[in-house]
Amino acid sequence: MIDLIISTVTQGLIYSLISFGVYITYTILDFPDLSVDGSFPLGAAVTAVLLTKGVNPFLTLPIALGCGALAGLCTGFIHVKLHVRDLLSAIITMTALFSINLQIAGSNLPVGRATDTIFTAAPTMAVLGSLSLLMRKLIVSLIIIVIVKIVLDLYLKTKSGLLLRAVGDNRTLVTSLGRNAGNVKIRGLAIANALVALSGCIVCHEQRSFSATMGTGQVVFALATVIIGISLFKRLSFVKGTTAVVAGSVVYKACIQVAIHIGLPANLLKLVTAVLFLLVLVLSNHKGEEIIRA
Amino acid sequence: MKKRMIARVMAGIMAATMMVTGVGCGKKNDGSRKYQIGISQYGEHGSLDNCREGFLAGLEKAGLKKGVDYEVDYQNAGFDDAIATQIGQSFSANDVDMMVAIATPSATACYAAAEDKDIPVVFTAITDPKAAGLTDGNVTGTSDKLPVEAQMDLIRKMQPEAEKIGIIYTTSEQNSVSAIAEYKEKAGDYGFTIAAIGVTQQSEVTQAVDTLLSEQVDCFSNLTDNNVVGVLASILEKTNEAGVPVYGSEVEQVKLGCVAAAGIDYYQLGIQTGEMAAKILKGEASCDDIPYETISEYGIYINSTAISELNITVPAEITDKAIETAE
Repeated sequence: MIDLIISTVTQGLIYSLISFGVYITYTILDFPDLSVDGSFPLGAAVTAVLLTKGVNPFLTLPIALGCGALAGLCTGFIHVKLHVRDLLSAIITMTALFSINLQIAGSNLPVGRATDTIFTAAPTMAVLGSLSLLMRKLIVSLIIIVIVKIVLDLYLKTKSGLLLRAVGDNRTLVTSLGRNAGNVKIRGLAIANALVALSGCIVCHEQRSFSATMGTGQVVFALATVIIGISLFKRLSFVKGTTAVVAGSVVYKACIQVAIHIGLPANLLKLVTAVLFLLVLVLSNHKGEEIIRA
Repeated sequence: MKKRMIARVMAGIMAATMMVTGVGCGKKNDGSRKYQIGISQYGEHGSLDNCREGFLAGLEKAGLKKGVDYEVDYQNAGFDDAIATQIGQSFSANDVDMMVAIATPSATACYAAAEDKDIPVVFTAITDPKAAGLTDGNVTGTSDKLPVEAQMDLIRKMQPEAEKIGIIYTTSEQNSVSAIAEYKEKAGDYGFTIAAIGVTQQSEVTQAVDTLLSEQVDCFSNLTDNNVVGVLASILEKTNEAGVPVYGSEVEQVKLGCVAAAGIDYYQLGIQTGEMAAKILKGEASCDDIPYETISEYGIYINSTAISELNITVPAEITDKAIETAE
């Protein structure tokens, strides 16, 4: 049973990188970035190809980040420089990425057990070799997520990070500061999609496969986790947004795991998940009000 | 205060997970040893359901009784890869004795989840297990590779004049891509040319039908492509209006209104898989000893109602051995 909690938390952690990305675009930049559905499998496609070619598994992480950033640049470029509406420019990138991903990977691509992943490679084994694969997955993912979170938090405090937040809140302010709001937007999209692709990369290490359809619905998932995370912690001002979305992601995956284990028919799975979300959201709102009244 | 509230919500969710999974674990230790089998099916789909039912029948045939010798935890991912992942992980966490995966995404997910504990994975309804990376390790199963040549032979006999076969497939489905390659390679031997259109999602299928009809194909032939088969009814509506016959790839499609098919019976495939699984469960063989199997026999299925509507005359050599599916 403890195994199940470990694997559920691991899933939540790995997928929370998508939530980071959507947190940046949706919450900070106020940009409906649907290209996530394409940049997530992009990270996995690149990783699957590199792993099967025998590239050092740890090297796939920065490469996936880079590829994701390129995808974000595309969306930003189409929107800012070619003046296409935000939603459309994201859809264009997402659609293009579907083909690009297949072009990169050829087709759905498995990564055999003989191939080392970040969870089984020599450096990981040297430090965590005595642990089960399950624990290694948890610890390695946790380390990556903590690093990304800290770097992201620090970045959001820098001048560049503050500009990013300003673009979403008050575009005129940015322009009046003599900054190009468009370029800031492009930068934000690049960072967001880089993180999303990193998530795809780690999922590929974890699942040992790339599938063209793995991106479907990830935007919706990430939006849900961001909203769940933020509502859960909205009254706790010391909890950073990044921490909240990680929690949101873990809660989401836990909800699905519960729904699976109640053993309901597949057709009802999503409905139950929806009800569980609603419960979490309502509970966190309701209880919060009570506390204020008391 | 607030912190405690949050903690309570989180604890509640965790507790719910534990309670529910705890039930699953409890079953295992009730004295007599029952095999725990986790079945992960990719989605609700006639052929996949037949696989599962066949599988259970196969276990029965091999002398294993449900509830006495084994218990089944059946989960369905509703065509969602991420949920398939979580299903595999819950099986692994519950220490099942075997994971049975129906269709490729579920098999990939189970195989990844089984790596740590080296739980045997038995798959079915996968066209090309080698391309899916499911041939090394504690894994085996059955392949549902299409009898492409038999299908073309059937079409030739039913439509002696036909030249062009239209096929719609999903470009991301490995199964379909390899089937198309085989069709194109062997079409010449039967005097056909293949007009294939690749789609990326279900909503594009109807457009593809229109395109192929405008290219004057003599008939359509289906693969076991989930996207395409999912909207078969609407394809048939268009083709029937145009008077072009559609050949299925398995019995369920013929029941739906395809004229005929040289295809596999997924129920039979399931039985074969169940018998393999029984050997592994009983310890008579390991996955390494049993390489994946392809079904060698296929059935010819016809639908007389659809055939008469399209004014096709079926030669006796086919009606003699074909199985009628029209009601």
